[in-house]
Amino acid sequence: MADVSVPSLILFIASIVIAAGVAGVLIDTVTGISGALDDRGADVAENIRTDIEIISDSESNVYDDGSGNLTLYVKNTGRRTIPATGESFDVIVNAQYQTDVSVSVADGGSEWTPHGVVEVTIGGLDLTSGEDHRVRLTVDGDEETFRFNYEQ
Amino acid sequence: MGFGVSGSTAVIFLGVLIASGTLYTAAAGNAERISEASDAESEELLDRRNTVIDATEVVYNNNTTTLTVTVVNDGSTTLSVEDASLLVDNEYVQPSERSTTVDGDTDTDVWAPDTDLVFETTRSSTPSRVKVVAENGVAASNTTIEEVS
Repeated sequence: MADVSVPSLILFIASIVIAAGVAGVLIDTVTGISGALDDRGADVAENIRTDIEIISDSESNVYDDGSGNLTLYVKNTGRRTIPATGESFDVIVNAQYQTDVSVSVADGGSEWTPHGVVEVTIGGLDLTSGEDHRVRLTVDGDEETFRFNYEQ
Repeated sequence: MGFGVSGSTAVIFLGVLIASGTLYTAAAGNAERISEASDAESEELLDRRNTVIDATEVVYNNNTTTLTVTVVNDGSTTLSVEDASLLVDNEYVQPSERSTTVDGDTDTDVWAPDTDLVFETTRSSTPSRVKVVAENGVAASNTTIEEVS
């Protein structure tokens, strides 16, 4: 009797251990996927809630030739407060990425709340007079394009 | 051997059960969050489509250097007075530098359909362009500035 039970017991324990290992790996992997899914969902929901609108007119006076600054007013037409810093914006002027971007809240508030307006100043530009220019702003996946003709 | 197979099957089933529970919670929570955000977005889109504003009259008074902008809400959405933006010559006019009146009421924040919103601000010279932007980004501009003295 003992001859049969000992190997059986060993096999039983081994199979349970292997099964537990497989189940553990499965749970661990799925927990990781769930976490990633959760983060992604939060990001997507935030992107949906973000909406901005450039409210400046397409006139020459948005660009100041003396200082090389381009100033645009941007309204928050979404439903979430966006940090009013240059890091929130990805700015591309005439297909060139700009790093000299400063943002200040224009409507007297301290934060860029929904329906608020900020002033975006893009510095270090050298735009040619008499040509069409294109500015592209991206905030959390929301893209806005602003085209204007600059005449000195 | 028989016990081993049934025991390990039970353990694996338990693992699958826990894993699917976790996955379902995450997926369901996500779906709800995203559908909520899309719902709000489409509601806002409907509001935006129902919004029409028109800058009907812009008067600059040379004597008092006052600029008066009359904007009518031609749509069917009730807008906020405080959240409307005024740009004169492409320059933003801060809420503290302007006064607003809706049908004679200076305190209200309700800009109802078919009512006139009147902005008043001071300017040193006659502007060439005035633009009003409603809270949801719908804009109206006027370049015909009437001068009175």
